[in-house]
Amino acid sequence: MLFAFLLVFLLRALFGFEPLYDGGVYGGVAGLIGAIGFLWGIGCFDFWLGWAKGADISEEDHSFHGVSNWKQYFRFNTDHKVIGIQYLGMTLFFMLWGGLMALLIRTELAAPGQQIADGETYNGFLSMHATLMIFVFAVPVFGGIANYVLPIMLGAKDMAFPRLNALSFWFLPVAGFMFLASMFTGMFGAAWTAYPPLASQGTMGQTLFELGVQFAGASSIATAINFLATIVTMRAPGMTIWRMPILAWATGVTSVLAVFATPFIAGSQFLTMFDRIMGTNFFVPDQGGDVIMYQHIFWFYSHPAVYIMLLPGFGIISEVIATFARKPLFGYRAMAFSMVAIAVLGFGVWAHHMFVSGMAAWLRVPMMITTIIIAVPTGVKMWSWLATLWQGRIHIKTPMLWALGFLFTFLMGGLSGVFLGIVPADIQMSDTYFVTAHLHYVLYGGSVYTIFAGLYYWFPKMTGKMYSERLGHWHFWLTFIGTQLTFFPMHWQGLQGMPRRVSDYDPRFETVNSIETIGSYMLGVATIVFFYNIIVSWKSGPKAPWNPWRGKTLEWMVSSPPPLFNFDAVPQVVGGPYQYGIPDARHAVVFAPEEFGGELKEDTRYPVLVVANETLTSQTLIDEIRARNADGLWSFQLVVPVGDGDRSVAERRLATTLAILAESGVSATGRVADGDVVSVATEAAKEIQPNELVIATLPLAESQWMRTDSVDKVRKATGVALSHVVVPANDARALAGTSALPLVMVVATEAIGAEALATVVRTRADAEPARFTVVAPLDLPDPRWGAEANERRRAAGEAMTATINALVNTGVAVEGEVMDDAPSVALPLAIDAYKPSRIIVAGINGETAGLREAAEAAAGDTPVEAVNLGAAAGA
Amino acid sequence: MATTAGHAPADQQASPPQQKQHMNASLIAMLLFIGSEVMLFASLFTAYFFIRYGVANETWPPLKQDGEPFTLPVLLTGVNTLILISSSFTLWWGEKRLAAGDNKGLIRGLWVTILMGATFLLIQLNEYAHLGFTPQDKAFSGAFYTLTGFHGAHVLVGLIVLSLCLRRAYKNDFSHSYNTPLTAGSYYWHFVDIVWVLLFFLVYVI
Ligand code: HEM
Ligand SMILES: [Cu+2]
Repeated sequence: MLFAFLLVFLLRALFGFEPLYDGGVYGGVAGLIGAIGFLWGIGCFDFWLGWAKGADISEEDHSFHGVSNWKQYFRFNTDHKVIGIQYLGMTLFFMLWGGLMALLIRTELAAPGQQIADGETYNGFLSMHATLMIFVFAVPVFGGIANYVLPIMLGAKDMAFPRLNALSFWFLPVAGFMFLASMFTGMFGAAWTAYPPLASQGTMGQTLFELGVQFAGASSIATAINFLATIVTMRAPGMTIWRMPILAWATGVTSVLAVFATPFIAGSQFLTMFDRIMGTNFFVPDQGGDVIMYQHIFWFYSHPAVYIMLLPGFGIISEVIATFARKPLFGYRAMAFSMVAIAVLGFGVWAHHMFVSGMAAWLRVPMMITTIIIAVPTGVKMWSWLATLWQGRIHIKTPMLWALGFLFTFLMGGLSGVFLGIVPADIQMSDTYFVTAHLHYVLYGGSVYTIFAGLYYWFPKMTGKMYSERLGHWHFWLTFIGTQLTFFPMHWQGLQGMPRRVSDYDPRFETVNSIETIGSYMLGVATIVFFYNIIVSWKSGPKAPWNPWRGKTLEWMVSSPPPLFNFDAVPQVVGGPYQYGIPDARHAVVFAPEEFGGELKEDTRYPVLVVANETLTSQTLIDEIRARNADGLWSFQLVVPVGDGDRSVAERRLATTLAILAESGVSATGRVADGDVVSVATEAAKEIQPNELVIATLPLAESQWMRTDSVDKVRKATGVALSHVVVPANDARALAGTSALPLVMVVATEAIGAEALATVVRTRADAEPARFTVVAPLDLPDPRWGAEANERRRAAGEAMTATINALVNTGVAVEGEVMDDAPSVALPLAIDAYKPSRIIVAGINGETAGLREAAEAAAGDTPVEAVNLGAAAGA
Repeated sequence: MATTAGHAPADQQASPPQQKQHMNASLIAMLLFIGSEVMLFASLFTAYFFIRYGVANETWPPLKQDGEPFTLPVLLTGVNTLILISSSFTLWWGEKRLAAGDNKGLIRGLWVTILMGATFLLIQLNEYAHLGFTPQDKAFSGAFYTLTGFHGAHVLVGLIVLSLCLRRAYKNDFSHSYNTPLTAGSYYWHFVDIVWVLLFFLVYVI
């Protein structure tokens, strides 16, 4: 520090500056040297300096990889997963400060006149708010998400340049704390746009702002280069560009924007800084300077920058919507191309921020046209998301809520943007609250909502813990209502002429302003809920399975959190990333280490424990297992706890399910165990050390297990990642009727309802897993609408219900039908409709032979067996 | 593998799975970095042209604060430009020698390049000392010093990079199969030269 002062003093003396002492300059240089010292001290330069000195360093030194406790997140680290978390933590911290500033702004604006801050201070709050939110929250925060998930999504072990990655991260706190430090030196008050000549005046805070922006900019260029190099060179084999997840496209396009646009803000801040500390005259008109020039250079960055804050969000939303609508992403290529189009067009619209600035008038109309054209690719994306949702199986989990909130909020912002892009309209609305409304709708929708969607979506992957869904919903609804309350009235206010960036206003705006202040406090409360949720869940939330959302991309094929180098072996990509609902489609195959030879074999698969009893044969549970099986990673162990129930029922259900699973190629084994669910599950978990435990129950009201809170008890007792599958009662009884198990047709008339019939079917079911259909052809007396015929129909129906219930309750897959014709007419129809693989005729004494004859006549090649239930049926 | 006392959990010290790289990430990164540098100079040139057109109705070159016109030593700088351009070719020659397996040739090429670059910088500094105006003069002088100063800083960085390469060349670290740092450094050096040619024409000549 002393060195810094000395240096400046010498230089100033040398070049004959007047005055020799200027706090701003000394402070600025001190800040700069302090920043470099900090980066040096934390170890950012060690590797390169070692290289330069020719010291013995190894490219393969991974000692700065991974963390073993939370304190290490505050240290230099080169692991992309650690850096991702560091990024998120740091940017969320700055978001908190920025949010605090926003609350101060809203408090001042709650009523006309002065509340808590005079004009100068208000400008400080405003500038600090916007600067923190844009430069150290909205722009870099996506770097956190992408740092964590992108290398895994691409099948890479890390970013292309891990040390550069660390350096880009550590630039951020430097930038952010320089902004914050200005609170002690007089806050900068020229807003985040820092237009001269205002920015040429002001305190040392303004110099710190200019320096801070340079660091934030350097950080974003370095990360962008890193992402691009990673995407180009580190994709897993088979990952063609058309098989990349949209998030990779979004990050790539954003990075191109960052690399080529960010230098412009660097340039603009250099110029203002030179004016401030070196006495140049870039922005002094009577010395030949030009203030409009600043705005051109600034917006040539800052318009593309709005897409830097937005496109990664588009990527996140695409992932979330496809996963939670369980449908392939609509228009994958259109999605990718429209992002490229937005980025290209984004370089040609900057002057729409300057319609009223006094710039060259001929520029207005071309800029208006390009601005409005940009709404076209944006619309393509909007429609593609809607089309993805269309007829999807939508699961309203917290990430999906944010995605839906984004669609609405961002649409509003996009529409007001088109208004602002039209020159005559903008001349009216520029510098009013209409602009404030617009930018908050786009930034809340496009950055804040998307980042929350992403945070909740990947929280289980990053932390290995599940967040609280209930608090997540609270967080969403508080934020959503808060946003609308705070920003919607601003449209009206702006149209009525209330100027933005002013600390006082006309009393006629009092009501709306106080409503907005209430809305902003709601947003504050929502933020508290969010932080509570993530901190508590990370510390003591339930363990997360590998793939809680049944996503298809590569990050879901590794553990939560992933191992140190993400994959044990290089994965092989074999298909697109969003093939939801397409049977047997796979995005990638995770190869086992070489020594096991290629793809995972049965015995190297990771075990999953499935616990169920009454719901064991349900379609819901079987679908869950099949979906997991599609990952190609798991083997399944089914355990059926029987308390005081009937053991043979459980065995029958198990046999049916195992048969259905085997038939669809799922490797599963199972057993029936005595004891209550908690102890059985705990025992089994201890024995097989599963990666995931799936428990299926009936809904809360009907489930014995839920009534005794068994699911939570199992979760606590085993400490294994647990998925609770809730099976609707009617599905639990449907007994996988649609499966391809062999179908046995049972023909009976007199014997329906008899216990002996049920016994015959059960014996059959125990011999070999099958499903059954019981057919009762009635030889009704004429007239068929007569009283006697009706009576027989009713009786047969009742008897059929009794038989079916008796069978279903004992774990047999069975359906039944009463037919209105004599066997000789009805059976050919029934056999044609059901196509059974075997027919059993169950008659009572005399009728048996006739039934058998009719069945054989209709059966063709299908084997027919007959049993005479005889006297047994009479009981 | 030189894993030192690290923070990684002990059972995870294995090395990562290896994967074939399709393209040289470092060179891609260098090209992108140069792209962003091009944009930085583009922003400064934008400033310069705004200032230039701001005074377009008056005489060009504009007048200094003392009423005299700004004059720039075109001839001397022209010679200097030639020196810098030639240094690109000497560097190219050095790389050629390396490709032919001649490490000595590379070292010679690097030495000549570095000396020429240093000469350029010294002449430029000398020019600053004798120009007769400071950055605090009219906006034009600010733009002039900013453009040439930024360029000079880039030459300095280029020189440092090339010196580091030279040091490694002495250790026989480069071969025709491994020369990424050298290639990246030479990309950078060519970029610095091309910017100067532009700058010379746009600021000094026209
Ligand atoms: C349909 C797309 C869009 C159009 C047509 C559009 C148009 C405009 C226009 C014309 C202005 C200038 C208003 C004025 O100052 O008089 C503006 C301001 C702004 N827009 Fe947009 N915009 C769009 C999307 C976005 C997006 C996606 C973002 C950010 C994620 C964004 C962020 C902003 C910001 C921050 C400002 C205010 C800048 C300031 O003066 O501080 N816009 N927009
Ligand atoms: Cu814009």
